[in-house]
Amino acid sequence: MKEKLNPFHIALLIYMIQSGVVIFSFPRLMARSFGYNGWAAVLIFTAISSFVIFLISLVYRLGEGKSIFDILEQAIPKFMLYPIYVFLLSLWAILGCMVAKQYVIIFQMIAFPSTHPMFFKALIDVLSFILVIGGVYTISKASTTFFWMIAWMLFLLFFYFQDFEWARLTPFFFRGGTDMMWGSLDIYAAFLGFELALLLFPYVEKKGKFMKAVYIGNLITSLTYLTFTFICFGFYSFGQLTRMKYPLLELLSFIRLPFVERIENLLFSFFLFPALITIVMYIWAAVEVAKRMVPKANAKWHAAVLFVLSFAVSWIPDVIGEVEQWLQYLGYVEASVSLALPLLLIIVLWVKKGAMRRE
Amino acid sequence: MNKRTGFFTILILAVLLSGCGDQRIIERLGFLHTASFDLMPAENEHSEDQLMVSLTYPIIDAQLRKVRYEVFTEIAKTSKEAKMKISRKSELRLVSGQMRSTLYGLSLSRKGLWDHLDTLVRDPAISQRIKISVVNGNANELLKKKYPSHPATGQYIDRLLDKEARTNNVPEITLYEFARDYFDDGIDAIAPIIKDIGEDVAIDGIALFDGDQYKTKLDVDQSIYFAFLRDSFKRGDLSIDLGDVGLSGEYVFSTLSNKRKVKVSRDSSGSFIVDIAMEIRGSVLEYTGAFKLSDQIERGKLEKLVSQHISRKLDTIIKKLQKNNVDCIGVGKYVRNSMSYSNWSKLDWKSLYPQVVIRPAVQVTIKDYGKFER
Repeated sequence: MKEKLNPFHIALLIYMIQSGVVIFSFPRLMARSFGYNGWAAVLIFTAISSFVIFLISLVYRLGEGKSIFDILEQAIPKFMLYPIYVFLLSLWAILGCMVAKQYVIIFQMIAFPSTHPMFFKALIDVLSFILVIGGVYTISKASTTFFWMIAWMLFLLFFYFQDFEWARLTPFFFRGGTDMMWGSLDIYAAFLGFELALLLFPYVEKKGKFMKAVYIGNLITSLTYLTFTFICFGFYSFGQLTRMKYPLLELLSFIRLPFVERIENLLFSFFLFPALITIVMYIWAAVEVAKRMVPKANAKWHAAVLFVLSFAVSWIPDVIGEVEQWLQYLGYVEASVSLALPLLLIIVLWVKKGAMRRE
Repeated sequence: MNKRTGFFTILILAVLLSGCGDQRIIERLGFLHTASFDLMPAENEHSEDQLMVSLTYPIIDAQLRKVRYEVFTEIAKTSKEAKMKISRKSELRLVSGQMRSTLYGLSLSRKGLWDHLDTLVRDPAISQRIKISVVNGNANELLKKKYPSHPATGQYIDRLLDKEARTNNVPEITLYEFARDYFDDGIDAIAPIIKDIGEDVAIDGIALFDGDQYKTKLDVDQSIYFAFLRDSFKRGDLSIDLGDVGLSGEYVFSTLSNKRKVKVSRDSSGSFIVDIAMEIRGSVLEYTGAFKLSDQIERGKLEKLVSQHISRKLDTIIKKLQKNNVDCIGVGKYVRNSMSYSNWSKLDWKSLYPQVVIRPAVQVTIKDYGKFER
């Protein structure tokens, strides 16, 4: 078989799937839902997402690294699995597609107001298609390269030290927020991406370190979220932060170099990389499901059909509000899936184990 | 290999082709530089207040190889509408991505600025670093006027403010700072105020805002003292007439640095006491008084006198701020941070602020006195 993924690549891949366009509005989400010092709530969500990863690691251990489709198909008749497959396939394909659409619409807002968004969307889809048909090993290699292309952006944080003020953080913790309940779901959705580790089982090398890498990937995401959100809370006043649509984009536009300013358009382009990996991996996940449903067809055809279908679907919402609404609902569904799928697999594995013991 | 080539070909194509969609040819763009806004009061009670908006942008004269700044004025309800009206008269496409500065007339500032700033924060093309300044008088007239020794008025004002902000003679107030303080419940916003003085434009002081409405101003010679109260900083100059402290001579204190610390406590009756401690360090580069700067004891005496002098100046400023009920030094932030959230949300800070005891404590240190002993 093909080369296996090593833990280092997996950690970066997980990070790249998790981070995407949502980071732009993330600080506002935190301020709205958790109020003053909302940045600290990132730690709570790190704990929650780590717990879900723990569930995934249980599946990995109990199933001894078998593909989740094998686990399901051994216990449940295939015709009963088909609705689940169709559901997962459409969820992942549309999710991937909507992330692309959101990126495009924001990009259009700041840089190319009169170009048709679907033109950009098509370009991104072609890029994604080439990556998806390359297979997961190629994707992970690309994501590692992309990671280094955006990692330097952490140094941009130095620009904000001068205007950062501790007094603006206030000693209040989690007060003055509204809608903690739904907000939490949105925030948890921002961490999503790690659940795709479920599909990586057949592609990883050494057993022990794989799950550790997923945890580390998740931690890198948390750390990024934590730093940027923390900076936002000290850089902007609380009232201002809750009103900004994309606080991170505003942060970027603040940067001024001696020879050039307003480089946020340029910097925003770099965020195509994490967004691209998010898109690619969700569609890859959908292709994995499609392969199970129609094993005879060529994988390239699966990808092609999925891209065309999801492209058609992404034509429907065409203003930013609609796209964000779609993404929000898809995020809720995906959040439930991230919890339900590992639980289902654990139950299946336990029942099977019990049955085997009785035999 | 083939796949990778394909990937990068498409990536490069994507980058290049997307340029065809929204073409911006630099010769056909008018880069707005400065905008000014004034209130045009309603003519009768049925009509609404309108804005007089002036915009400047550079026009390149290819034959003379010269750049001249043109000023265009329109009357409209909003700034964007005015931009469209002005655009109709221009062969260039007006873009606001490189806009540097906005000027607001005094009457408009009194009425409230936020409605006009809202469009600036909303428009993704406009930088957060755009300057906000108040004009003592009519902003359009100031922008339109030709100052003989400064050919481009907009640019001149922009550079003047930049330079003065570097030495803390005026605060550097950009859209970011104004919006930040406007939305903060513990501080009131400020802006530099400028005026036309005939041959030149000069800094007139600091405009103090209550919410988004101009309340009063501090004079230009109070600016540096106000800077001590507002924040720590690293650069500034201060000239003191020693006649004020009962001595003779003049004293110039330069390369000042200030370290400010704010402490909030409560007295036995429960009212707030705010102590603002300032450590001011600087070198003396001009001194015409009788003290011997090389003598440690005499230098100490001078430091003390200067500290007292600064304290008195600060007291005047604090009184003015409290009298007008504007908390532009951000005392509220520290009071807020000294209490619990529920107490703070119950507290009517605005009505309490004028009665709060604010005590400045200044400690001046003469870092050095130049390269000459006396």
